[in-house]
Amino acid sequence: MNVIEINQLTKYYGKHRGIENVSFSVEEGEIFGFIGPNGAGKSTTIRALLSLIHPTSGSATIFGKDCIKYGNEIRRDIGYLPSEVFYYEHMKVREVLNYSASFYDNVDYTRIQSLAEVMDLDLNKRIDDLSYGNKKKVGIIQGLLHEPRLIILDEPTGGLDPLMQQKFFELIRMENQKGATVLFSSHILSEVQKLCSRVAIIKDGTIVRVENIRDMQKHNYKKFTLDYRGVIDVHHFNLEGVTNLTVDESTLHFLFKGDINRMVERLQGQNLINLLVEEPSLEEIFMHYYQKEDQP
Amino acid sequence: MNVFKKEMKANIKSLIIWCCAQVFIIFAGMMKYQGFADSQVDVNALFAAFPEEIMVVFGIGSVDITKVAGFYSVFFLYFMLLAAIHAVMFGAVVVSKEERDHCADFIYTKPVRRFQVISPKLLAGVINILIFNMVTFAASVFFIAQHNDGDGLIDKVSLTMLALFILQLFFLALGALFGSLLKNTKQATAAASGLVMGFFILSVAVDLYDKLSFLKIFTPFKYFEGATLMINDQLSFNSAAILLIVSLVFFGLTFVAFNRRDLST
Repeated sequence: MNVIEINQLTKYYGKHRGIENVSFSVEEGEIFGFIGPNGAGKSTTIRALLSLIHPTSGSATIFGKDCIKYGNEIRRDIGYLPSEVFYYEHMKVREVLNYSASFYDNVDYTRIQSLAEVMDLDLNKRIDDLSYGNKKKVGIIQGLLHEPRLIILDEPTGGLDPLMQQKFFELIRMENQKGATVLFSSHILSEVQKLCSRVAIIKDGTIVRVENIRDMQKHNYKKFTLDYRGVIDVHHFNLEGVTNLTVDESTLHFLFKGDINRMVERLQGQNLINLLVEEPSLEEIFMHYYQKEDQP
Repeated sequence: MNVFKKEMKANIKSLIIWCCAQVFIIFAGMMKYQGFADSQVDVNALFAAFPEEIMVVFGIGSVDITKVAGFYSVFFLYFMLLAAIHAVMFGAVVVSKEERDHCADFIYTKPVRRFQVISPKLLAGVINILIFNMVTFAASVFFIAQHNDGDGLIDKVSLTMLALFILQLFFLALGALFGSLLKNTKQATAAASGLVMGFFILSVAVDLYDKLSFLKIFTPFKYFEGATLMINDQLSFNSAAILLIVSLVFFGLTFVAFNRRDLST
């Protein structure tokens, strides 16, 4: 069964494009990634799903019900974490969470305490005294408090330190194992790859494609930066899978896709000061993969 | 209920400040009355020497302000102005504050329809203006009694407060409509307070120039007159009916407009 079904969803803000003909569906029980650069339309899509904004055309259903028409019923079972977390600043964390819980029936209030412990959050602090990361934690707890069947996360990891990200991912996996479906929007490919089974890629307001994460991993680009002690032998890296090769004084940059062992072999014997292997940004991947493949 | 409680709590401080200001105005105003009464000067003759324009702007028309009811009736203009600003601001802010504070995503993703959020907010508004009205009433009766041998003129003041409450309702609805139609709180409060000033200037202009009297239906400040209420004990039924109906329409439009609104983050 599909928990979310989006059908030709379009949103224009006046003449300004938000999203155009976005369609995809999310199956029950999966963690679905929604990935695209900033400004591509991820938040617009999500905000339309939550009926915070009204689509210009097209439709979307959640749990088989129309998002706008039955928004209030649907939202009973949705936990949402916005990308920018803001709350009533003069309230205490506990007050905000109690207030949030008061909108749902049958909320287990002891969950506030237990979730706060997992996320290491002080419930007695005032919202305006919290750091950005701690506000995000309030958002996470607020989103998971009522044990929603669908969890919608809009760029959830920004502001969380790596340890917290890890805990957060565990929390999401746990909720998922208990049966929750997850829609996870991000502009960081690696975190989506870690968590998700399928992913929709959005760019300039339209869906570029929907893929299995396994297929995507075939396109697993790594970004290499090599600092040379001596002269750079550019031709040494003239092998299959290397793209975007640039030389910048004594530094060599390139993207590599393929068997990592071949690259490790190739690196032997090179006289380096430093070597950096990174996850390329989504923009870089778009430039070297999606753009090329989508052009006829 | 939760939204209502939260809104009452959020506004309690500002309500107390407004009420204190109002009590002080009534207290200080009635002190002046004592000054007039004690001075043995023919105040009416004194004011008769003033240019009419000035008297109109200060709301001192043709009433006998050496009598306590007449003196108090002059206050009505200031009550209207203060109460209008209080109510219109409340209305404009209460429906748009979540967007201003960037927490619209919080409350409008809860399993409630938008009217279920807006209604308790507006109810909190009605209770707030009612409290403001009751405090005005209590302070008025108390301070009038001090200067009127213990007679607080409860009947006359009650009628005046009823008129004031109808005006407050109208301005609350007007503010809410602005809040739901305009892009953000800033625009809504600016437009709303601008309109209140516009209404006020129009009401003064109508008093100054007889030729403009046909314009008085366009300013709520001319719907009730302090003197009519305090001296003749009359509240215009037509004025009350029109204001109440318009208020209801504005409240209705607020719901419609807010429901269609694209909420900003």
